[in-house]
Amino acid sequence: MENMEYENIEIAPLYVVLQAAHDFAAALAETPQYKTFEKTAYAFRQNQAAQQAREAYQQKRKSLNTLLMLNALNDEQRNELEQLQSDFITLPVVQEYIDAQAELVTLCQALGDALSESIGLNYAASCGVSCCG
Amino acid sequence: MQTVLTTSMQEATDALIGNLLASEAFIRYQQALASLNQDVEAHTLLEQLSLAQANLRKKQADNDVTQAEIKALHMLQDQVQQNTAILAYSQTQQEAVSLLREINSEISQLLGINFASLANHATC
Repeated sequence: MENMEYENIEIAPLYVVLQAAHDFAAALAETPQYKTFEKTAYAFRQNQAAQQAREAYQQKRKSLNTLLMLNALNDEQRNELEQLQSDFITLPVVQEYIDAQAELVTLCQALGDALSESIGLNYAASCGVSCCG
Repeated sequence: MQTVLTTSMQEATDALIGNLLASEAFIRYQQALASLNQDVEAHTLLEQLSLAQANLRKKQADNDVTQAEIKALHMLQDQVQQNTAILAYSQTQQEAVSLLREINSEISQLLGINFASLANHATC
C-alpha cells in the first residue's frame, strides 16, 4: 500500500483506494457466479423467443398498469397477465438467467455485508440504493 | 447459508476494506465518531432532539401541537446543528459516503452492473 503521512497516521491516497476497488471488481468478474451471470444474460439477450415473450408480458402489464395499481383487474385480465408472465419466466433461457442473477445477488450481498461490517456504514444504503434499487 | 468466497475474492475484499479504512475520509469519520461518542453534551442534545421529535409527531397525530412546542423544537435543532462534535460527525460521514459512491462507481463501471444495487438486502 503506498501511503502518505498525515498527523502520525498513514493515509491511503485516493488513487490507491480506487485501485483496490478496481482489483475488487476484477476479482468479482472472475467468480463463477459473475461468469455464469454474464453467459446467461448474453444468451437471454440473444434468444428471440425470450425477447418476444418479455415484450408481450411487458406490453400487457403496461396496458393494465392503472388497473394493477388500483388492484382492480378482473379474472380474465389477471389470468391473461399471469399466463404471459408464466410463458416468459418458464422459458429455460430465462430461468437460467434468473437463477444466475440470484446467485450473483447472494454473492454481492455477502460482499456488501463484509464491507458494511468492517467500515461501519451500510454500503448499499450509503451508495443511494433504496429498496427499489 | 454462508457464501464461500474464492481466495482471490477474499483477498481483494480485505484489501479494499483495508484501503477504505486507511483513506483520509474514513480516518476523519472514525475520529469524528470517537469524539462524538465521548461528548456528553452532544449525546444529551441528540437524545433531547429525538424525544422532542417523537413527542411532536404524537401530538401532530392528535392535532395538539402548540407554537411554543414548535419553537422549542427549532431551538433544539439549532443547538444540534451548532454543536461542533455533531457537525464534524455529520460532515465527515458525508465525505465517507461520497468516497463509497466513487468506489461503487469504479466497481460498477468495470462490471457493467450496479454493485450496490445487487448488494442491497432491502426489498419493497
